[in-house]
Amino acid sequence: MAEVESSTAAFEEDDHRVAYIFNAGQSPSQSQLQVVQTAATAATARPAKRRKVAKTTTIDAPKQQQAVVSGPAFPPLFNGAERPDAVQLRQDLFATAWPVLEARVQHVLRDANRTTLDEVAAFLQQAAAAETGKLTAGFIITGPNIASQDLLFEQLAERLGTADQATFVRLRASEAPNLKATWLKMIRDAMAKEGGEDGRKYLDYDLEALRVFLAQQQQRPPRVVVAFQDSEALDSGLLTDLMTLFHSWHDRIRFDVLFGIATSVELFQARLLKSTARQLYGAQFDVVQADSVLERVIKSAVAGTQAALRIGPSLLRSLVERQRDQVAGIQVFVSSLKYAYMCHFYANPLSVLLAGDGRLDSGLVQPEHFEAVRTLDSFKAQAEAAVEARQLNHAQSLIEDDQYLVGLILEQEQKRREYQTQLLRSLHILAAAGLSPSSFVELYMVALASGIDLSQASGTVPAEDAVRRLNPDEFLSLIDRVLKAIHAGSPELGLDAWESDADEFVAALADTRDEVEGLMARAKRNRTSLKSRYSAQSRVLRTTVVSQKVQLSRDTATLTAEDTAFTAAVDTLTALLAQNLHCDPVGRLFLHEAWVYDAKSPYRDVFVPRPAATVARALSRPHDYLACACCSQAAGGGLAATLPPTAILYQLYREAGALVNVADLWSAYYALVGGDDDESDVGLGERAALVCFYRALAELRLMGFVKQSKRKADHVAKLKWL
Amino acid sequence: MGTSMFQLPDELILTALTQTFLCREPQIRALGTLLYPGAAPCRNLVIHGTEATGKSAITAALLARLAAQTDDDEVGVRYAIVNSVECITSRHLYETVVGKVAGALEWEAAPPRCETVSQLTVELCKMLKYTPRPDGFRFVLVLDAIDRQRDAPHTLLPALARLSEIIPSLTTVFVVTAPSPNFLRTSFVPHVHFPTYTKPEFVSILSTSPPASLPNTSREETTDLWARFTAAIHDSLARAASRTLPTFRHACTALWPRFTAPIHAGTHTAREFSKLLIAARVHFQDETLLDPGVLVAITNPAPNPTISTTTTTTTTIQKPNPGADLASLLPTIPRLLLLAAYLASHNAARHDLVLFSTHHHGRRRRGGRGLSVGGARGAGPGRSKHRKIARKLLGAHAFVLERMLAIFAAVRGEWDPRGRGDDHGGEGDADIGMAIATLASLRLLVKVGGGVGGDVMDCGGKWRVNVGWEVIRGLGRSVGVEVEEWLIE
Repeated sequence: MAEVESSTAAFEEDDHRVAYIFNAGQSPSQSQLQVVQTAATAATARPAKRRKVAKTTTIDAPKQQQAVVSGPAFPPLFNGAERPDAVQLRQDLFATAWPVLEARVQHVLRDANRTTLDEVAAFLQQAAAAETGKLTAGFIITGPNIASQDLLFEQLAERLGTADQATFVRLRASEAPNLKATWLKMIRDAMAKEGGEDGRKYLDYDLEALRVFLAQQQQRPPRVVVAFQDSEALDSGLLTDLMTLFHSWHDRIRFDVLFGIATSVELFQARLLKSTARQLYGAQFDVVQADSVLERVIKSAVAGTQAALRIGPSLLRSLVERQRDQVAGIQVFVSSLKYAYMCHFYANPLSVLLAGDGRLDSGLVQPEHFEAVRTLDSFKAQAEAAVEARQLNHAQSLIEDDQYLVGLILEQEQKRREYQTQLLRSLHILAAAGLSPSSFVELYMVALASGIDLSQASGTVPAEDAVRRLNPDEFLSLIDRVLKAIHAGSPELGLDAWESDADEFVAALADTRDEVEGLMARAKRNRTSLKSRYSAQSRVLRTTVVSQKVQLSRDTATLTAEDTAFTAAVDTLTALLAQNLHCDPVGRLFLHEAWVYDAKSPYRDVFVPRPAATVARALSRPHDYLACACCSQAAGGGLAATLPPTAILYQLYREAGALVNVADLWSAYYALVGGDDDESDVGLGERAALVCFYRALAELRLMGFVKQSKRKADHVAKLKWL
Repeated sequence: MGTSMFQLPDELILTALTQTFLCREPQIRALGTLLYPGAAPCRNLVIHGTEATGKSAITAALLARLAAQTDDDEVGVRYAIVNSVECITSRHLYETVVGKVAGALEWEAAPPRCETVSQLTVELCKMLKYTPRPDGFRFVLVLDAIDRQRDAPHTLLPALARLSEIIPSLTTVFVVTAPSPNFLRTSFVPHVHFPTYTKPEFVSILSTSPPASLPNTSREETTDLWARFTAAIHDSLARAASRTLPTFRHACTALWPRFTAPIHAGTHTAREFSKLLIAARVHFQDETLLDPGVLVAITNPAPNPTISTTTTTTTTIQKPNPGADLASLLPTIPRLLLLAAYLASHNAARHDLVLFSTHHHGRRRRGGRGLSVGGARGAGPGRSKHRKIARKLLGAHAFVLERMLAIFAAVRGEWDPRGRGDDHGGEGDADIGMAIATLASLRLLVKVGGGVGGDVMDCGGKWRVNVGWEVIRGLGRSVGVEVEEWLIE
């Protein structure tokens, strides 16, 4: 097997860009994996960031033996030249960065359900006290995402199981196809703690057994909470039966039912018999809207200071849009985040630069790192900017002097932190002051993509007008809100209060506030209302009647001295805000590639696969995958006799109507691949062609393109129209 | 005791029962006679009558008292009541019967497995026939709602009726709703019928529990008003909406606060019955109040303030527009898919080309009226003959999934505000599949036909949309689409 090992070592670095063809027909002594490199990928230089994931690297050549022993699961990058401690560092970084976030996300998610839990528990207790003689039913409107209900029901089980001493049973529709199976599952779950019972043997589905068991557990009265997670999927008849039986048993075991409802209680009620509905004593509970949960998750896990890796604006936008458009629960969002972290630390060698706190020293940085840094867009932009600014020495050292670059790289850590703090503080003030109508998430994405600029004409967050239009009271409350935001910070974002850092800003704000308060007091004394140049009607149409003639004249409304002073204060505030609330787009920062992950494609490939489109593409352009010489003339997508039979049939199939005559299909196929009598060495003989045809047709059927038609003999029906 | 041949049960028991269960005296006496060992004990007894007429309750109460009375006598009566609704298989019924009988007889041995009716006979014989019992001992086995037993073999009832032939001391009581003639396949089974209550009976039953006195009204006046009120309720609602005692009682308690609101307000007095009636006429014509909701009704009198807070908060969302509700829950793509499914269900496949292709006309020709299908038909002579019901009034038709996806792909560009310019407009990607699966699990989209239990991956199966026109219209408006324009009649 030495041969195999060496050959794997030879091409393992390229295995992310190849297709494997499993060719069982070859002799077994050869390596069974034949590697075909497409010309396109072979020509391009190796990208700095490898995002495709290589699979098997632990079977390794001896030179990497050391790395295997020390145990990093990540493969060394730079064509294997990356040093093991750098690999280890990347792995450590991931291992420390992600769990922090995950814990925060879990905390947010659990916290979001708390009110619902409280309400449900209170309702159950109240219903127990009310003695209605009806079956207590809680309807929890959870929204269409079934996967995200798991956490809620888990929490319900914990809560009701510990606080109320109730036996909690969770049922899914798939576990409850009929009455017997439901009882069976319910009794098993409820009696899971204890196996052996003595005395009378009950049937598996006899609720009497449950009653006896609960009576032995000293529950007075025996109480069972049954939760149906996806009530819509339950059969209506079964639902009615269950309700009737629960009610019928009510005097012996107190059943409470909880339903997770995805649509609405009305639709649920429409499925029940009226006599059953009469037996229910229900209340409706709403869980926190998915939007606000998403916003909180983003605030704490994506935007917050704890997030080591910044998710770039375009990826974040596509994630958020997917949440809004598709049935993708918050869990999908969280795992997408995790995947982004994994991709970044797994495949980007520059991610080691994220390690701060002295763990990143110049010894760790190796020549390949410099090479990689110098291919970055942000490096090029930096160098070009330096040239334009006539800092030629700087530019030259950037490009040539590795030690100089190391110094710069080590500086970036500090700059990154500063940028992050500035960004979050600006956003926090913007959101707290309510200067922009968009939500925090939207603001965050805009700020990352194009920076924060408050100016009305060209800015990304035009808020100047909003400030100018304020009347004095609103003006004061705006200042108060800003001061409060600075004073309190944001625990959600992980921002501490930063009064000490921004004492000039705070002092200026306080001055402006005092001034306006004084102005207001003076205006009150003069019995006028305070207005600014922007809020007052600046031009007034004045009518004067002079000797029975009406004169219209435009006048500039006179502003009192207080008004002018207020206008000045408004201008001051606008300038202050514009000066303090700003940040650059993240893409403009030097070396942002090391700590911003903004690639959409691996995420889409993994989370939104498109099997149908992939199969269709492979069938219509097999040459792209096979790269064989014979089909090169058909590379544009045309028909050729040398294409695989299935691909030929697929082309013919796409041209056919809803019903395909098999005989016609065969003759078309044979006309293409069959050899004429004259030149019998070209093309297939009839029997060989027929075999290929049958096999291809069977493959099409297997893939769900055609099926036997009942309407017409010898025809197949077309199943795929798109 | 035991000397006379015929002796009725103690009169005290019967009077106490007739006072508890009003208007049921003949039935109670008949049952007492037929069940009491000293009187005329029978082997099988059928008690029948519609829902909520007191069959089970009276039988249980009577047996409990008879057993208590005869406990110290030598004339023993033991009984067991089995509710067959709770038994989900017939085997479950047999085992429950054996278990209950053993419990009633204080039988020591644990009841064994009992799978068939013959095993049941053996077990019952062991306990009742072969164990020496005092003279005049009778065991009454009540099978409640035995006609609603699940998975019952058709020989179940005749077989159970034979039990008392084998065991002489057993009386089997069948409580059923409506017995078909000769359903026990045995001759001479006494039947006791529990008829529905008549109007005077309803009124007299409800009169025993009058509501609390009204303000400025004496106790007698309130009771009097209550009696007249219940009679009026019976006339207006009982025949149509609330035929049974519980629903009738519910109707009375639900309407009473509204009816007496003028008295509380002080505009009328309790003596002005006709004026009150006219004032509350609307409620008497309205049956929606009586519709049982699964949510706690807001009209329920709240016993304490904590409940009232929860009920009010939970019932404010009583009548939202169902379409809007669904629209706020579903994300965009599932909404569009549901609309496409509705179109696929309610448009004939032959109109698809007209509706969804932009090939020939720059602007689509669509809209039922715009297409003038009806006009062409109207011009023809056979209009009256070919009058059709609008398709949207008919049920949804089944469609092939591919057709729905094709419609979705065709309309998406026009409906989705952000268009399909983005790269993720791909049809058949995993998100679309997930959306369809979600809609299916919510039963908004159902699979019909042969492939229901079959292969989920089979795209040859047929589907049907499961939501109505109102919901769809609301859903369409939430994405800015007038679904009406896309339907061809």
